Amino acid sequence: MAIIDHEAELHRAGANITGWRSQLVFTARRYPLGAIGAVIVLTFVFTAVFANFIAPFDPTSTDSKASLARPGSVFWLGADFMGRDMFSRIVYGARISLAVGMGATLMGGLLGVSIGLMSGYLGGAFDLLTQRLLDVMQSLPLLVMALVMAAALGPSLENTIVAIAIPLVPTVARVVRSSTLSLREQPFVEAARAVGMGEVRIAVRHVLPNTLAPLIVLGTAQLGSAILVEASLSFLGLGIPEPYPSWGRMLSESAAEYVRTAPWLVIFPGVAISMTVFGTNLLGDALRDILDPRQRS
Amino acid sequence: MGSYLVRRFLLMALTLFGMSILIFVMLRLVPGDIADILVDAAGIADPKEKAKIAKELGLDRPIIEQYGQWIGGLTRGDLGFAYVSERPAIEEIAPRIPISAKLTLMALFFSVILGVPFGVISAVRQNTTLDYSLRVLSLSGLSLPSFWLGLLVLMASVHWFGTIPIYTNEPRGFLQEVGLLAIPAAVVGFRSSALIMRLTRSSMLEVMRQDYIRTARSKGATNTSVNYNHALRNALLPVVTIIGIEAAFLVGGLIVTETVFNIPGVARFLVEAIRWRDYPIVQNLVMLIAFVVVTVNFLVDMAYMVLDPRIKYAD
Amino acid sequence: MRLRVAFAAGTLAAFVLAAAPVFAQKQGGTLKISHRDNPPSASIHEEATISVVQPFMAVFNNLVMFDPNEKTNSPDKIVPDLAESWSYNPDQTKLTFKLRTGVKWHDGKPFSAKDVKCTWDALIGQEEKSDLIRKNPRKIWYSNLKDVTVGSDTEVTFVLGRPQPSFLSMLAAGYSPVYACHANGRDMRSKPIGTGPFKVVDFKRNEAIKLVRNPDYWKKGRPYLDAIDWKIVPNRSTRTLGFVAGEFDMTFDSDVTFPMLKDVKAQKPDAVCEARPTNVNTNILINRDAPPFDKPELRRALVLAIDQKPFNDILFEGQALMSAVMLPPPYGLWGMPKEVLETLPGFGSDVAKNRAEARQIMEKLGYSKDKPLKIKVATRNIAIYRDPAVILIDQLKAIYIDAELDPIDTTVWYNKIQRKDYSVGMNLTGGGVDDPDTAFYENFHSASDRNYTAYKNPEIDALIDKQSAELDRDKRKKIVWEIEKKLAEDGARPVINHNVANTCWTPQMKGLVLQHNGIYNGWRFEDVWLDR
Repeated sequence: MAIIDHEAELHRAGANITGWRSQLVFTARRYPLGAIGAVIVLTFVFTAVFANFIAPFDPTSTDSKASLARPGSVFWLGADFMGRDMFSRIVYGARISLAVGMGATLMGGLLGVSIGLMSGYLGGAFDLLTQRLLDVMQSLPLLVMALVMAAALGPSLENTIVAIAIPLVPTVARVVRSSTLSLREQPFVEAARAVGMGEVRIAVRHVLPNTLAPLIVLGTAQLGSAILVEASLSFLGLGIPEPYPSWGRMLSESAAEYVRTAPWLVIFPGVAISMTVFGTNLLGDALRDILDPRQRS
Repeated sequence: MGSYLVRRFLLMALTLFGMSILIFVMLRLVPGDIADILVDAAGIADPKEKAKIAKELGLDRPIIEQYGQWIGGLTRGDLGFAYVSERPAIEEIAPRIPISAKLTLMALFFSVILGVPFGVISAVRQNTTLDYSLRVLSLSGLSLPSFWLGLLVLMASVHWFGTIPIYTNEPRGFLQEVGLLAIPAAVVGFRSSALIMRLTRSSMLEVMRQDYIRTARSKGATNTSVNYNHALRNALLPVVTIIGIEAAFLVGGLIVTETVFNIPGVARFLVEAIRWRDYPIVQNLVMLIAFVVVTVNFLVDMAYMVLDPRIKYAD
Repeated sequence: MRLRVAFAAGTLAAFVLAAAPVFAQKQGGTLKISHRDNPPSASIHEEATISVVQPFMAVFNNLVMFDPNEKTNSPDKIVPDLAESWSYNPDQTKLTFKLRTGVKWHDGKPFSAKDVKCTWDALIGQEEKSDLIRKNPRKIWYSNLKDVTVGSDTEVTFVLGRPQPSFLSMLAAGYSPVYACHANGRDMRSKPIGTGPFKVVDFKRNEAIKLVRNPDYWKKGRPYLDAIDWKIVPNRSTRTLGFVAGEFDMTFDSDVTFPMLKDVKAQKPDAVCEARPTNVNTNILINRDAPPFDKPELRRALVLAIDQKPFNDILFEGQALMSAVMLPPPYGLWGMPKEVLETLPGFGSDVAKNRAEARQIMEKLGYSKDKPLKIKVATRNIAIYRDPAVILIDQLKAIYIDAELDPIDTTVWYNKIQRKDYSVGMNLTGGGVDDPDTAFYENFHSASDRNYTAYKNPEIDALIDKQSAELDRDKRKKIVWEIEKKLAEDGARPVINHNVANTCWTPQMKGLVLQHNGIYNGWRFEDVWLDR
């Protein structure tokens, strides 16, 4: 299970590849859905990073004259009950979603990788103990686990990230552990050991890079679920508190009250969540096809 | 195999035991307890009254003792007293289980009915426009937050029918209950159906690449016969597993859906109980969910063992 | 004299009602009402929320009550309930009630004067052993009640420390039902018994409250309804949709905000909707014991920065009422007229001028646009608290205050406020009875449990006691206004506005009179009937 020689793959597929640009075009042609996903994800990241340049209004500033304003030339996506510009709030909301999504995925990934590596590498009592602990954590659905965690930590941006990251750990740890177990017996690892390389170094230099492909695939999938879980938590009032414009929160209280008079309050934040998660899913599928040939469809 | 069963069984018990400690400790980390909530609900902050309530509920006793009491009660089938309603927790939890169970079963039914056929079609017509559209559809199923979908359904319902399905306490008859639960079940099931479809598809593709399928094809079997007799049957095994696991994990989707549709099931009750710091309810509900998940996993493993003779359980 | 008139009017009313042929009102039917949240318990004495009073008041009776057919609760419009008549001794410190005979509790046991004694003994903490209540949010109401003595089965006397004209009003409030001596707290909280027109059949947490007609109700011919079904629907849009779709005959009290009203009216044109004050005012808590707001001039700047209009425009479409602590006329009995109100700091209409003055103060203290004062505005993490807080933060920008919202989980809110772990807080304060005694004692007297801000001012304490004992209503009003003025000048708890909201019902529901200065009163439902 070595890392995929992408170039060879492309050549085999009959592509005449010169330079990264045509390579990109080729990949995009080969995986049109993935390309669309990548565009969506890039737009999302771009929006989040440059929110302060994109948003025409301060997302927290209220205006009594604009309460529940319809979408139009001033408020492109309308305004909420407090007269806050929906477009600006959705743009800033991308920041929250990105921060929570990325934060939780990275944190969960980092913890999962360390636990998985140590577990697979050290084996023995440590492995046994962590496996049982992961069993426990996996005996609750992601949202239920995150819900209890979020309640225990209290609502804040940082706590929400932690609450979502922890339930993501077991899957990552399991994936890393199982590839570590099989890699440990591979000839190149034994060779490294034979030349006197330290175990930690072997783990980091040789074993870890070879688990990257499934990790990236997994990470993309987890990014999507992290964003969804954050939205659900905030919708239930246990996630990101005001004044942060979280998409899930925007759908919860005030928005739902104006389903009839101001449907834009319900439609647009939902579209934002769905599009973003949809993009990460498309991208994740394509990455899996590219990086993990066994599962290729 | 006997020893494997015993081992699996012990692991299950161990997992549940671990969960009981985890949930118990986590709940005690939650800022504020029921005494805070109760005095807060009355708009007062009299420390004497708070202490009185804490004492009455046994919150002032050592954590270990409280834990021992809970677990001791559990083994005797006594779930303790709900803090808020001051009634036995079992009386609060039990009537809500059938509602969520029905919802889960209907959602599952919905997701299988949609997921399996579309997955097969998608695999058989791999890389056609139909395949692409179905894949996009299923991905969108995974991307739509179910509470949003629920809100949209409510919006549409009001728009077109001028009314919404509100769960009434005692639905009059089976048909009415099915009618009331159908829409929420479809909303929850949409996501699972997407998952099942994707898995059916990839599993079908995997099987279709296998040698015996090629052999069957080369022997002149018709496409339809190959696809449906040979491939589908073999592809279904992993699908059955995912259906089992989804059944347990649908609870996640139920939490928001029961909230949106105001269905008095266990999932919404869990959120409510967390909000009220009603430990006896939260603890027992979490244990119930964990129990269902662990049991389903166990059953799925067993099913695998029976259905797929290739899997050996040596250790 | 007045008392005798009240008594006579009461008897007359009872006579007329008993004798009146049933020609208009229809008997029977189930009234369906939506409920906004899970009532913390069914025990009215232990709770301080409309979530409990509105559904459960119909289970009980009071000694006396505000005339349910009058829109304005007033001490002049108090009618008999379980008490047939009442009288004071000459120095106004003993209030004796003659009780109705033949009244039975829902479990069949007879009602007597002992039950009255048990109830108020528990409330003044004389019966420490009492299992009737475990929380007592309105302890301060009865701080002047020294003893309750039973004369006979039908006579009970309340012994007061000093004259207190508001005492009868407090007994007339929906918050003051009579409990049964033989009941215990746990039952009162989950399935209470009372003497009232409806019995509790079931109270399912987060789901429903079911009340049925009490066939043995002492008031003959009442109630009209067979049953009342409350369905708990925490999501407001679902509730509103349910009302519009005809699932409910009535919305929860004050559940329809002004922006939603248009929607309701558009979809259900025949809905009867009535706007009235909710007895709740939005106010600002300022921590005067810690920097930076321990400086009086900074507190003054903060008060000057507030522009009430945007709050009102956004949250109430301009329908909220401007006033100090007491509800303003014409709804309230004790509020100041507009011209007097505008002389108080923070109520002047020239916001630009006020803010300019505030900025001067800020500059003097060393703050500027580039060097703003950074604070957090603490508030409960509930929409009705958060929304005004967001507006306040927006307004503070105008006077070089860079504020951030600090949403506090509702469970720890009072703890935090009591610990003084905040600098500015956004708060809502509700009042059970439109009377200065409840409003001032609860929130500003140094001895009160509910004086969250621990506001201590001996001068105010003395004035509160003085108005409380004043029997002449006009003189009392003067003292009340004096207190209002001092509180406002001191920035004790600047009031932004008095909230107003709508309650809607189907035209088929008849016989309900919403009380305009007391949302906690008037929910007996015995005169309500359904025309279908």
